Amino acid sequence: MKTVRFRIARPQRAEQWQEFDVPVQDHTTVVDSLEWIRAHLDRTLMYRHSCHHGSCGTCGMVINGTSALACTTRVVDLDLETDQVVTVTPLPTMSHIGDLAVDPTPLFRHFPAAAGYLRPSEANRGSTPPEEVPQYKRFENCIECGLCVSVCPVINLREFMGPAALAAYNRELEKNPGRSDELLPQVEGAEGAAGCDRHLACSAACPTGVYPAKQIVQLRKKIEGWQKNRESGTTGSAGDGSPVVPL
Amino acid sequence: MAVRKSHGHVVIIGGGGTGAAILHDLLLRGFTATLVERGELTSGTTGRHHGQLHSGARYAVGDREIARECMDEVRILQRIAPEAIEMNWGLFVALNEEDNAFAPEFIAACQESGIPATEVPVAQALQMEPQLNPAILRAVKVPDGTIDAWRLPLHFFATARANGGMIKTFTEVVGVIRTAGRVTGVRVLDHAAQNEYDIAADLVVSATGAWAGQIAALAGIALPVTPAPGTMVAVKKRLNNMVISQLHPAGDGDIVVPQRGLSIIGSTQWQTDDPDTVEVPAEDITYLTARAAQLIPAFASTPFHAAWTACRPLAGSSGSVEDGRKLSRDFLAIDHGTTDNTPGLISIIGGKATVLRAMGEQTVDMICHLFGISEGCVTATTPLMSHRGYYNPALAGERAPTGGAL
Ligand SMILES: Cc1cc2nc3c(=O)[nH]c(=O)nc-3n(C[C@H](O)[C@H](O)[C@H](O)COP(=O)(O)OP(=O)(O)OC[C@H]3O[C@@H](n4cnc5c(N)ncnc54)[C@H](O)[C@@H]3O)c2cc1C
Ligand code: SF4
Ligand code: FES
Repeated sequence: MKTVRFRIARPQRAEQWQEFDVPVQDHTTVVDSLEWIRAHLDRTLMYRHSCHHGSCGTCGMVINGTSALACTTRVVDLDLETDQVVTVTPLPTMSHIGDLAVDPTPLFRHFPAAAGYLRPSEANRGSTPPEEVPQYKRFENCIECGLCVSVCPVINLREFMGPAALAAYNRELEKNPGRSDELLPQVEGAEGAAGCDRHLACSAACPTGVYPAKQIVQLRKKIEGWQKNRESGTTGSAGDGSPVVPL
Repeated sequence: MAVRKSHGHVVIIGGGGTGAAILHDLLLRGFTATLVERGELTSGTTGRHHGQLHSGARYAVGDREIARECMDEVRILQRIAPEAIEMNWGLFVALNEEDNAFAPEFIAACQESGIPATEVPVAQALQMEPQLNPAILRAVKVPDGTIDAWRLPLHFFATARANGGMIKTFTEVVGVIRTAGRVTGVRVLDHAAQNEYDIAADLVVSATGAWAGQIAALAGIALPVTPAPGTMVAVKKRLNNMVISQLHPAGDGDIVVPQRGLSIIGSTQWQTDDPDTVEVPAEDITYLTARAAQLIPAFASTPFHAAWTACRPLAGSSGSVEDGRKLSRDFLAIDHGTTDNTPGLISIIGGKATVLRAMGEQTVDMICHLFGISEGCVTATTPLMSHRGYYNPALAGERAPTGGAL
């Protein structure tokens, strides 16, 4: 057990910053530390958290300058030699509520409508599901944490739908190719897939392996193919034309 | 929905799954309602639970009624919130002769509870789940699944908000207001604005789980709730698609739930005084990992992802952990007007994430009874909005995939 100093941004308060000393063990995470501060030192500290294992996407924050999930960032893994303290600030590009808590509404502004959240499972390929299960399914990798958007250099330069939303479009089109004519016009403009400058910061920041930059490349390919079809006058969608299951 | 006069204003304390379902149901039955949560939604027990959608098989031997309720809710949730569930079924597997001998009683209890539990040959179980311990003696298939612990409640919150429900996060109840003996509202601290104010209510519902004793104390009521935390450990790979459980009466570390790219073993259970000061015991990580490896050997060699705890509320001051486990897993709805001479306050404690909708229904039935009105519950047949609808109402709908891309 050792003691680590946390320096936490509290922008809505007169003091702006506050420091707390927290006892940490090897497995203590930044969220565990914030919980400890709230329970033992200051019950007014505001931060978002829910699952504590990297699945809900609520706990994104900037920890020693890096956008990360607080619940899967272990304190002992931070470079405390250089930084001395753990500095934590709220995630940018979201609406600020207080201290480290943000409102993720801006993240969802450009997501595709009526998109599902399940996908086929890749685990144990070749296994045979029980007869009641047509295909093993699992939730999408994207936990909608907004870390990718927080590090995207384009977001601050000009109107851009952002990596999370564009990745969601690509995922939805992978699963429902029949929606091409409906969804591709929404992402073909300069604010959509064409707006990506390929900085790749999003893919490096993503905690769950979505690789949003790769998704955007795939989306661009879909757009190109679909635009060619449109110019050559091919009717219908570039997808497989399979029927869409209504809600 | 036609505009009609509200039956009254209900304040719900606690933004977990229970509060979410009560809020949603109240709005559909013609109440106005405000929910207050001290932190982010589901920042208590709900967001951190193990993620198992319980078919009820785990409970059938002990309590057929609880098991039957789980099975009913599994069917209902698949209809009203299909995208919040990985519905891949589950296997109960016998690791030793004692487990093996338990199987007939287990299967019979499931079937009596309406749960379609069937034995599958071990070779077939290994085709369903190739990473299972090949030394298992028997396997029984049941309709278990995986819940997204955050997004299932968010489906309820999204729908409730669209129906006019007020949801106030980072708003902590710091006092319960009493007028002539009756609870008439709550005093809250708004953490963002850093001020306190009162919210008037015709009825206050405390859906604060392991914190219910603290809220009751604010109203001058002694409510013995013992917080009972448990640890879960996740590894960085999805080793199974079905929920894998040990075929024995419930114990520690006997369920591996898959979720996204993870597999999660849970849980342990002990008792504590304060749900806010619980830390992960280092020895639990070692213990749970070893237990998981008995079911799925590769668990032990898969990189560690996370360890965390969640707190069950045990009603009544139980003497020992043994007693604690045997306490009914069902939930308690307490009308403090009847039990403590304090009308205007009810407490809802216990239950499971799987049965959140049923808890909402039974609580609002009780509220309707208190208000002297008859208004039927329709939540079992009302599809919920997508979780994304909570942040953007244009994203309310969800549809199933038609393609097969990974
Ligand atoms: C280890 C473990 C594993 C579990 N696994 C499963 C599982 O796999 N499947 C399953 O179906 N169930 C599972 N459960 C059970 C399930 O998690 C709970 O039954 C359920 O989440 C309880 O929800 P709740 O809304 O009643 O309580 P909570 O989610 O705890 O909600 C109470 C809320 O009240 C808030 N609050 C407290 N004080 C105040 C205040 N003063 N002012 C405002 N708000 C306040 C808290 O912040 C909290 O968010 C598990 C439970 C545990 C402990
Ligand atoms: S793509 Fe990755 S970083 Fe972006 S919101 Fe989704 S999970 Fe978070
Ligand atoms: S608390 Fe859920 S991702 Fe961190």
